[in-house]
Amino acid sequence: MPKIPIDKLEPGMKLSKPLVSRGGMVLLGDGTELTEKWIDRIQDMEVDGIYVDGPSEQKESKEESLAKLDARFLSVEKEPYMGRLKRIVRDYIEALYGEH
Amino acid sequence: MASIDIRTHRNKIENISALPTVPGTLKRISSIIEKPRLTLEELSHFVSNDPALASRVLKMINSAVYGFPGRISSVSHAIMLLGLNVVKGILLGTSIFEIMQKVMKGLWDHSLGCAIASRVIAEKLGLKYPEEVSVAGLLHDLGKVILILEYQENYDDSIRDATEKGIAISEAEKIHFQETHAAVGMWLSQKWRFPANLIDVMAFHHSPAAAKVAPLETAIVHFSDILVRARGIGFAGDPFVPAVNPVSFEMLRLSDGDIRDVLAEMEDSLEQPTDF
Repeated sequence: MPKIPIDKLEPGMKLSKPLVSRGGMVLLGDGTELTEKWIDRIQDMEVDGIYVDGPSEQKESKEESLAKLDARFLSVEKEPYMGRLKRIVRDYIEALYGEH
Repeated sequence: MASIDIRTHRNKIENISALPTVPGTLKRISSIIEKPRLTLEELSHFVSNDPALASRVLKMINSAVYGFPGRISSVSHAIMLLGLNVVKGILLGTSIFEIMQKVMKGLWDHSLGCAIASRVIAEKLGLKYPEEVSVAGLLHDLGKVILILEYQENYDDSIRDATEKGIAISEAEKIHFQETHAAVGMWLSQKWRFPANLIDVMAFHHSPAAAKVAPLETAIVHFSDILVRARGIGFAGDPFVPAVNPVSFEMLRLSDGDIRDVLAEMEDSLEQPTDF
């Protein structure tokens, strides 16, 4: 679920996390569909971005990400359970890039 | 290459308020939480009298790390709900955040990731006080903060050694300090009168088989530490994933799906603002 800067919000986007005020009050629940009116109000608030449904944008390429994973696990892959753990993390990372 | 025996410095470290490198906030927090019979009222009074501190504590409690988003509005409410020890831990957490930002930024993300993973696993296992396990995850590397602050050169050497020789940071610490951050964390958590469970986690998160009081909590933080590194979140002194202790891992009985859930929750929570 990507975090969208408030100037990029569009009507029809759905919140994937509740919008919470600085004081800790829930202003809009998750699942709320954004309207023009909500977007105006949100843009008047001190928030830097809103979480909406959809795949996240990743900071690095999938290949980079997986190469780093290999490097981190290099010396422990053969240890008990570590191969399994690596496979779970690899599947998880691949899913972030929208495969599966 | 300078090496010291940190065990001979135990008194100096325990007398944390006299260490010149330790910031004032941490000294003040240390002096209140080490009191032998600290009451709810005293702690609540201490935090409420410092608006900046109170707002940081509430922000952390209401963050995704603790799983009470937006529900706790006062310090006394927080103490009632979470208990004295969890609030003590969160107080320390907010003050070490300040230090980590200055001396080793990645350690904060590492600690937060570990706190979240520890809480989620504790919930999955049906533990009665998942927040206490979360605090243990948050503070497990506290010893590193003190070592970095007070013995910066030796610690820089340890980090360089770990990366160059391909060894874990705790192994490098043994070369440069004769002991590891786990021992330093244990000394301080004893001084701060934390419960035996938390002291066990601090002391044995790298050697969970030695945990006698809280083997399950220690296993949770041991595995969370590894999972955070496996995902590549933060920096804890070396770039490697350590091997999990098989007995501890088996104790947790986590399925592949459980581990995926922990990864997802960790990532979601860390995407939210985490500057306390």
